[in-house]
Amino acid sequence: MNATTLRRPLPRYALSESWRRRLPLLPALLFTIALTQVPFVMSIYYSLTDWHVVPPGPREFVGLDNYNKLFSDHFFGQAVWTSVKLTVVPVLGSLVLGAAFALLLDRRFFGRGIVRTLLITPFLLMPVVVGLIWKNQMFDTLYGVLNWGIDKLGFTPVEWVSRYPTWSIALVLIWQWTPFMMLILLAGLQSMPSDVIEAAKVDGATPWGIFRQLTLSHLRPYMELGILLGTIYLIQVYDLIAVMTGGGPGSTNVPYFVFQRSIGGGWEFGRASSYSIVVVLASIVIATVALRVLSNLLKGEEAA
Amino acid sequence: MSDEPKVRAVGEGRIVNSAFGLLAWIVGLVFFFPVFWMVLNSFKSEQDANTSPKLFFHPTLDRYRDVTKSTTGLLSFADAFANSAVVVLLSTAIVMALAIPAAYALAIRPVAKWRDVLFFFISTKFLPVVASILPIWILARNLHLLNTRQSLIILYTAINLPLAVWMLRSFFREVPRELIEAAEIDGASLRGQLTSIILPIAAPGIAATALLCVIFAWNEFFYAVQLNPVKGSTVPIWVTTNISTRGDFLAKLSAASVLACIPVVLAGWIAQKRMIRGLAMGAIK
Amino acid sequence: MRRFLRLWSAAALLAVVGAIAACGGGGGSSSNSSSAASSGTPAQGKGGSINVAIVDNPQMKDIAALTPKLFTAQSGIKVNYTVLDEGTLRQVTTRDVAAGGRQFDVAMIGPYEAPQFGKDGNLVDLTPLATADSAYNVSDLIPAVRSALSADGKLYASPFYGESSFLMYRKDVLKKAGLTMPAKPSWDQVADIARKVNSSQMAGICLRGKPGWGDLGASFTTVLNTFGGTWWSAKPDGSVDKAQINTPAFKQALQFYVNLVHDAGEKNAANDSFNECLSQYKDGKVAMWYDATVAAGLLEASDSPVKGKNGYAAAPVEKTPASGWLWSWALAIPKTSSKQDLAWKYVSWATGPQYLKEAGAQISGGWAAIPPGTRKSTYEIPQYKKAAKAFANQTLASIAAAPINNPGTTKRPGLPGVQYVGIPQFQDVGNQCTQQFSAVMAGRTSVDAAVKNCQDIAAQVGS
Repeated sequence: MNATTLRRPLPRYALSESWRRRLPLLPALLFTIALTQVPFVMSIYYSLTDWHVVPPGPREFVGLDNYNKLFSDHFFGQAVWTSVKLTVVPVLGSLVLGAAFALLLDRRFFGRGIVRTLLITPFLLMPVVVGLIWKNQMFDTLYGVLNWGIDKLGFTPVEWVSRYPTWSIALVLIWQWTPFMMLILLAGLQSMPSDVIEAAKVDGATPWGIFRQLTLSHLRPYMELGILLGTIYLIQVYDLIAVMTGGGPGSTNVPYFVFQRSIGGGWEFGRASSYSIVVVLASIVIATVALRVLSNLLKGEEAA
Repeated sequence: MSDEPKVRAVGEGRIVNSAFGLLAWIVGLVFFFPVFWMVLNSFKSEQDANTSPKLFFHPTLDRYRDVTKSTTGLLSFADAFANSAVVVLLSTAIVMALAIPAAYALAIRPVAKWRDVLFFFISTKFLPVVASILPIWILARNLHLLNTRQSLIILYTAINLPLAVWMLRSFFREVPRELIEAAEIDGASLRGQLTSIILPIAAPGIAATALLCVIFAWNEFFYAVQLNPVKGSTVPIWVTTNISTRGDFLAKLSAASVLACIPVVLAGWIAQKRMIRGLAMGAIK
Repeated sequence: MRRFLRLWSAAALLAVVGAIAACGGGGGSSSNSSSAASSGTPAQGKGGSINVAIVDNPQMKDIAALTPKLFTAQSGIKVNYTVLDEGTLRQVTTRDVAAGGRQFDVAMIGPYEAPQFGKDGNLVDLTPLATADSAYNVSDLIPAVRSALSADGKLYASPFYGESSFLMYRKDVLKKAGLTMPAKPSWDQVADIARKVNSSQMAGICLRGKPGWGDLGASFTTVLNTFGGTWWSAKPDGSVDKAQINTPAFKQALQFYVNLVHDAGEKNAANDSFNECLSQYKDGKVAMWYDATVAAGLLEASDSPVKGKNGYAAAPVEKTPASGWLWSWALAIPKTSSKQDLAWKYVSWATGPQYLKEAGAQISGGWAAIPPGTRKSTYEIPQYKKAAKAFANQTLASIAAAPINNPGTTKRPGLPGVQYVGIPQFQDVGNQCTQQFSAVMAGRTSVDAAVKNCQDIAAQVGS
């Protein structure tokens, strides 16, 4: 694209092309830098101290001491493994389910709007409420709906949350986040140009062929976007765990682990910050690798 | 448009379509069931709600009365709702105002280092919330922003911006290059390009993004309770005032949750209208 | 294009600034109360408002509802309540008191925090205020409760609500099985009865199992104490010495608790705390229940299905004369409050004997629902004695007998305290260890593994 093809005369102090491209980005970028990097730098600083609030003590610089303690803490290792399970399973589960729902909803049928609203509602509830509903209404051994149904079918009730904490939490997360995936994929489906599909049908393509060649490949960047965003959010989940199980082997993930060390009772902000910085560094590594794999996400046409 | 070409072009019968429609209804109802049960519980007495599942019971509106009772000195639903509405609407408006140009600069006329910029945006979400709360709280206290709406507006904008930038960028990439180039040849300004081409085509994506920002901001509890426990408290805080450790609360909590999620349900309904398939490609004048 | 961008940036910035400015007024005034927050609408020309943080238990909600009529109208002081669930309340008040938040003038804390915060110098010493206030009648406070909230003889928080623990049981169920419960049973006797009445329809006993230093931790620690075990041993000066998890006494107590739950306990015990056991007991799904004394008020409420069917015995013991816990929700004044005199006026009213006499007739739960366990005079009020006839005496006896200065058979740190160790690290250690123990109850790990893990965790404290 050549600036001289514009009919309007250029203003006297014409910006270079690269600055003209940057300007729309600047407000968002500057805002984000100001608001996120300051807390981040402060966290790094705290992680190098032994700051604890209760009992109150002087905040002394201890260098990398906290980091040393962290890597010998085998409970942190357990928390990492639980985090992996509680991220991968819900992300994939909600993606598959969300894609299925989005495809179902892409057609026209009676009451489509209502069904769409029904399918979004799990995501509209507060995480704490979701946790309490599932723990007390659905999963409860004596009073839960699931066990009531199981009992009527003649099987023994299952102690969902206490025997299978990881799977119970994963199930609730899938239920809660499927609408998130569904929304992204539905918007992706809706933005698919219909004339291409019409043309393909006129050419005699089968519905399955259309689905595989056109729909799926069109959806791919959105699925990858869903995976990336979903992972970012699901990695951070901790209040659901607090409400459903109160933590423990099999349900304490890294955010809950950090929470317990800091305001959840440990009040050791130095150590908690060091855990968080490690999480950030690990996330950067993982995300870099992941983005290389999810190549469609960062495919861009070369600037004209 | 008539049914006939659609049937032939789609290649499947009306029966198949209705079958899928029925499946969608069944799936929707099953998936919605826990929420349905929560709504049902909101009309029960605490005794009924905390025992074996009951489909038939003596319904009452008392739980709704309990949670909306307004007492001087206690956070009322009306006040919490007002705080939440202002915070969520303003922060979402600011997010969209910042993210739409940013997405333009990352998708349509990309800046040189757009990959790095995108990565930077997403990396701001790697720091766990439970860790960042401490520096944020200290900053808010020193800037006298504790217990104000501004604190949450600013914070929610910051936490939703990466999501909005990433999503809008993906949707803006859908816009066919030919249209953009045609518009530039016509001499359209950025605002013109946006309003006449980009926004209509990306409308489903923009609606989805705005809806997600509203949902995340509306249900955000942690920052809200840590920064605004005394004033400027939002709906999630109000909902959790019904949780007691010494007494049954499930029915009251259900009633409070039903009330709390009505606004977002409405937002979802509105957003869905916008998410209907955009203009057909041939309609550009 | 550039002109548009400039205009747009300016407009967006203006919008942001304008929004912030516009909300400056809105966020401040229209939130928790209808009138302007900073200057109250005083009834008698005196004025002011205070911020109070409370936990959302029924008694607290009652006093919040009665405050305008019974307090603000007389004193002109407006009270802005922040009601939070226990976990969040602890997060917010600890940060506020210990890290100088200055958000609250009165904070509701318990006997775990009060001595620690008091010794750290973060709380106003209430002793001079209390002794000077004749209406407050400091000598009316139940001595055990007063001691638990004090450090070095200074009262740091004024009790609003007090509880101990005891054993509740269905008299009719035990009678049908031909069993009697002694007034001061031992754990062996209780376990025996529980196993005998246990059936598939009705579990023998409901015990807490939910992870948390205040959930399973409270219940289990009382068992641990009376079995002769302790979390840590103490140095001669009372500070923490060595972790004592991996000791025979501790393991025996844990094994006993786990076995009892396994043989005669409620289903899904690993997730159950007060509320879950309350539901099951009222539903007739368990025959006995060991938990807070305040449960009695709920079991004998007019809408309770088990009203009148319950007996109350002292908390079971093994090697000690008493084992009931002591907990109190008490109001403390952070030193950072700028309105300490107003705050004391409020505390004096809320925790004074007068409120207890007035509240009974005005709250929905009736006389049995007034805040229990803080003052001797409560148990002299005729209407209360009548309404709480079934459990009032046992409650008072349990609280008075709570062995806060000598809960077990050995010397230990963190006194006073029964069901917790009054050191700052206990919250985290207790949370982590009870997570391990809860997993044992859920059948996901063994007692030995849990003990070993807990020993590692607890050993990080002390020498």
